[in-house]
Amino acid sequence: MFNNVKLSSFLASRSMIKGNKSTQLLIIFIMSLIFVNLVFIGSIFLGVTEATNKQVINSLYSNVVIEPKKDEKYISDVYSLEQKIRAVPGVVGISAQYVTSATLSYKDKHGAWAVRSINPDDEMKVSTNHNFLIAGEYLSRLDDNEILLGKEISGGYGGDLDYSSLGVKVGDSIDVLFDNGVKRSFKVKGIFDANFIQTNTMAYISQKEMESIVGLEDKASQILVKTRDNGNEDRYIKQFLEMGIKEKIKPWTVYAGMVKNITNSFDMIAMMITAIGLFVAVITIFIIVYTSTISKRKQIGILRAVGIEESVIIQSYIFQALFFVICGIFIGLIIIFFAIKPWFIEHPLKFPIGLASLMILPEKVSMNAISLIIAAFAAGFIPSWMAVRKTIIDTIWGD
Amino acid sequence: MTDVTGPILEIKELSRIYGMGDVKVKALNKVSFGIKRGEFAAIMGKSGSGKSTLLHQLGLLDAPTSGEIIFGGKNISGLPESRKAKFRLSKFGYVFQEYALLPELTALENVYLPAMALGRKKEEYIKAGTEVLEQVGLGTRLHHRPREMSGGEQQRVAIARALINRPEILFADEPTANLDSASTKQILELFKELNKETALTILMVTHEPDDMNYVSKVIWLKDGELAERGA
Repeated sequence: MFNNVKLSSFLASRSMIKGNKSTQLLIIFIMSLIFVNLVFIGSIFLGVTEATNKQVINSLYSNVVIEPKKDEKYISDVYSLEQKIRAVPGVVGISAQYVTSATLSYKDKHGAWAVRSINPDDEMKVSTNHNFLIAGEYLSRLDDNEILLGKEISGGYGGDLDYSSLGVKVGDSIDVLFDNGVKRSFKVKGIFDANFIQTNTMAYISQKEMESIVGLEDKASQILVKTRDNGNEDRYIKQFLEMGIKEKIKPWTVYAGMVKNITNSFDMIAMMITAIGLFVAVITIFIIVYTSTISKRKQIGILRAVGIEESVIIQSYIFQALFFVICGIFIGLIIIFFAIKPWFIEHPLKFPIGLASLMILPEKVSMNAISLIIAAFAAGFIPSWMAVRKTIIDTIWGD
Repeated sequence: MTDVTGPILEIKELSRIYGMGDVKVKALNKVSFGIKRGEFAAIMGKSGSGKSTLLHQLGLLDAPTSGEIIFGGKNISGLPESRKAKFRLSKFGYVFQEYALLPELTALENVYLPAMALGRKKEEYIKAGTEVLEQVGLGTRLHHRPREMSGGEQQRVAIARALINRPEILFADEPTANLDSASTKQILELFKELNKETALTILMVTHEPDDMNYVSKVIWLKDGELAERGA
């Protein structure tokens, strides 16, 4: 089938050189749009997924979460446990936290939210929330009666849940009733917007303050562990278990249930749109090649009559289809990397789960390009194969 | 007259029946004859007598319903399409009534296309293409496209294309039907010269009685059957 490539490419090149340039440019433009569409859809969903995953890691759970043993409410001997974990190469931060629910109230407004206690110095090593203050200051280790609120709790900063917020500003005093019955007043020290609705519905107080509320020391509800790299959590967990840590150890992905559903749906949508895009490409190329074989039917017959093999003729049409697609891919890559990607870096899309930009993976781009090339191959082959199936007499002189 | 050394083509009981449902049309009915190597023969007959159908069978452009086409001692009528294509490329030359050139190619490119298909080297097929175009008197029209040439010139390009692979037999299907008398004469003179100087076997379909003056043999067809032999 692939013999005499030289002759096929000669016929294809001559046909294109003498072909209608406007039509060819239009075909290439359509192919480039199809390719851009394939890459864009996959990349934007991947970007949203990536942004979501980053948010879960950077603002909620870090990479690895250590929880109390079965039937225990708190992790004990936190300090010594922290020392052990810190010794593992690749661990870059540890934050032991108490996590409790509490009712926060201000004037006549109140609501139940999660309150985490943190050692701010440790927390800064496992989360990026300190970078997202929109008012006031971050907590410090020795803060008493000061609280940090997500913007969905404070209100006033365009949150999605503003209607249920307290409507407080930095400096206002709010009452907090903890689930163990302890009630205290806190001054709002800062308000943050982590661009992630789940984080923005949380409040933070200092570890020292929380210990006085729960009446415990050297304990924690959870320990968040930040590792140098993402995606190797299982390796770290294995190391922690080998060190004899008996607490429950889980990767962040376990806590990303809702997010996982969303990303799975995105993957499905992206796959469907990709399939539709490829189908459109196949149909477009098919119509182009089919029209060409109809208009050049007699020439196909002449070629066969002088002894040119059918496979050479088929190949010449496949080469033309591949030429259009490869040019389309090339132009598409220019559009993607020199126009769309820079624009999205400057203007990321704002989702409740965070800011999302395009995530263009070379392997995905290659896969899209290969898919389109295969589609072009099939769409170039079928009509030309149909054309050479007729007898030479019918091809040259038929109706 | 060229020396006639032996049979190159033998046709035995060749029939071609076109079928359209229950209606069968016998375009050729048990036609048998032979063409000797180096002969310049004409197939003549009235319109609808089966001349072109016969040439299509002999040139392997169509498959007969029955009968044999013996070329070089072998029956080639039942060969698979890929083998037939090789025959058309290397052993046969074919000239159509309506020039049948590829409009996007220059005269030279049209001519060297079969040589390319045969796998000859670039410098070789360009040289051969140039020589054969010079042979048909178009040495100055190498890079012209078909639409830039007259009908007679286009037909000579088609002849050059048919000759480039040095075929053993040249089939011509009413090659002068669309040409004026001057061009017709040029083409027929060219055939005669080729036959004389290169001993090329030529089998030409024509309905022009004047063409008989150029050929050494006439095969008459009437209603798909052989009517008369010899010139």
